Amino acid sequence: MGHPLIPAILSVGQIRRETGDVVTLTLEGYGRPFRFRPGQFNMLYLPGAGEVPISISGDPGKMDRVVHTVRMVGSVTGLIGRLKKGDPIGVRGPFGNPWPVDEARGDDILLVAGGVGLAPLRPVVYDVLSRRKDFGRFLLLYGARTPDDLLYKRELHRWRGRFDMYVDVTVDSASSTWKGNVGVVTALIERARFDPYHTTAMVCGPEVMMRFTVRALMEAGLKEEKIFLSMERNMKCAIGLCGHCQFGPYFVCKDGPVFRYDTVKELIWRKEV
Amino acid sequence: MIIKRNDLKRLVEDLIGQGKRVIAPIMRMGLVEYGEIGSFDDITWDYINPRNSFKEFLFPQTEAIARYRIGKKDVELEGVIPELRETIVLGSRPCDAASTASLRSVFTWGAEEDPSRFRDDFYLMREGVTTVMTIACLKGDEDCFCTTVGLTPESPEGSDILLKETVRGNFAVTPVTERGKAFVEEWRDYITDEREDLKEIEYPEVLEGIDTGKIGARLSDVDVFDDPVWQEVARKCIGCGACTFSCPTCHCFDIVDEATGYEGERRKNWDACQFEYFTLHASGHNPRDTQFKRWRNRFLCKFHIYPTKFTSTGCVGCGRCIRVCPVALDIREVMEWLSR
Repeated sequence: MGHPLIPAILSVGQIRRETGDVVTLTLEGYGRPFRFRPGQFNMLYLPGAGEVPISISGDPGKMDRVVHTVRMVGSVTGLIGRLKKGDPIGVRGPFGNPWPVDEARGDDILLVAGGVGLAPLRPVVYDVLSRRKDFGRFLLLYGARTPDDLLYKRELHRWRGRFDMYVDVTVDSASSTWKGNVGVVTALIERARFDPYHTTAMVCGPEVMMRFTVRALMEAGLKEEKIFLSMERNMKCAIGLCGHCQFGPYFVCKDGPVFRYDTVKELIWRKEV
Repeated sequence: MIIKRNDLKRLVEDLIGQGKRVIAPIMRMGLVEYGEIGSFDDITWDYINPRNSFKEFLFPQTEAIARYRIGKKDVELEGVIPELRETIVLGSRPCDAASTASLRSVFTWGAEEDPSRFRDDFYLMREGVTTVMTIACLKGDEDCFCTTVGLTPESPEGSDILLKETVRGNFAVTPVTERGKAFVEEWRDYITDEREDLKEIEYPEVLEGIDTGKIGARLSDVDVFDDPVWQEVARKCIGCGACTFSCPTCHCFDIVDEATGYEGERRKNWDACQFEYFTLHASGHNPRDTQFKRWRNRFLCKFHIYPTKFTSTGCVGCGRCIRVCPVALDIREVMEWLSR
């Protein structure tokens, strides 16, 4: 590995348009197996435009590619969304602490995702399904703004069709053609079946969604030490030096982005940390 | 050990003659600042503390870390290895010397126990070729408060060699680190074993109302976020960032591309938590959306996060943030408030 601040140049392979403003890119040409753990992120770089922290959304078992799901929301991600097959893109990583999948063996696994927050949880789905017998019940609860904003629709159908996985989806608003749930993702927790004393929950979404999800999980009986969140902050160096992602005493890039709830509970209820 | 002023001059001229970079206080546009000297006579001796800290010679305000060229179908990108010159900082003050320990603790965070963790090689490579020769202060000014944060005008922390002025205008030499000992050994011919009386050192008054232990304890409770001090004292902050840029321990930086057409450099530039864009997400979410919250963050960083996370001081009491603040926001007022 070179210097951790210097990106490697890869090229764009397959492009999948997930929704109107979200794309999934498969990047090729890493030159050696790309190893990462679910929940880690890379810095994606377009020379002249800038660099953005994006979680890895691919299968940790497939080390011949680097997969990212990007919402086109800012200047750099806007350009990433317009890349074509074969275009060069800089990558450095993987960085950050992963989801505690190994530590959760034997437990029920409850994933709660909001919007594009499903992207960093998708590697957990691949990982758990690849060694399904190691875990108890496996649940994915997913909320998006509208049916058009749902990511990975084909896979959601496939996962939902399995007998060893529970998938429940809701949207904030929809037209009458939508026959599914309408409401917040926390409403899905009440009717999901899991053993609250032996469940590890992994939550990713907007901060406000995570706050209410944690509250609902604790009402359902989960312990603070079994709830994990993935925090978002403006990261620049990604290696714990530059100070941008400071979150109370933590640097999200290095101490996180995945945090055990009890380590951040004092801070997460303060919007301005 | 004593080095006579004239021998110090010979030593400095020899170092410059060997192509080494000598940083010392110089007068520039009516202000004393640390700068590279071309001869011993460039040095200003009548100063309390220079306008800048010498961190910019270890951690430059801007430096290239990579260069790129965008082709028709591809991108060439190559990392930059910094050009290193052996550096001697002569006439550092004890507060500034102590700040190198704070920078080092952030830039090597966790890497000493676990070498696979990341370090800032750009900083460490420069620090590795730098010798800090501190001159103890004879007195402070009204904004110096080193004694309130646990340092003194003659603290050796962070210095390789500590010099103290003698009544005859020479300097008593105390090597502090291995590097300092080797340096003294190398230049032993210029140093005598005589003894001279030292000039009297006047300590800045310890500010009675301030207790850093109490501040730390108060800050470890998140309810301190709601303390009226931030609104009342820090509200006047205009977010210019002068305090962070002049602070010897502030370490934050940004990484940006500076380009012309299809070629450019990736640069590491100083940044400041006082700027609105520092924490802004592309989505529009800004965790620290108003100025007093950004000021509060800086204070928490210095007096809570540094001591607990890096076991080093975040504030060395140099007083620069007080001197440069355009709205006269005095960090000591907040320290006092939180010591109550």
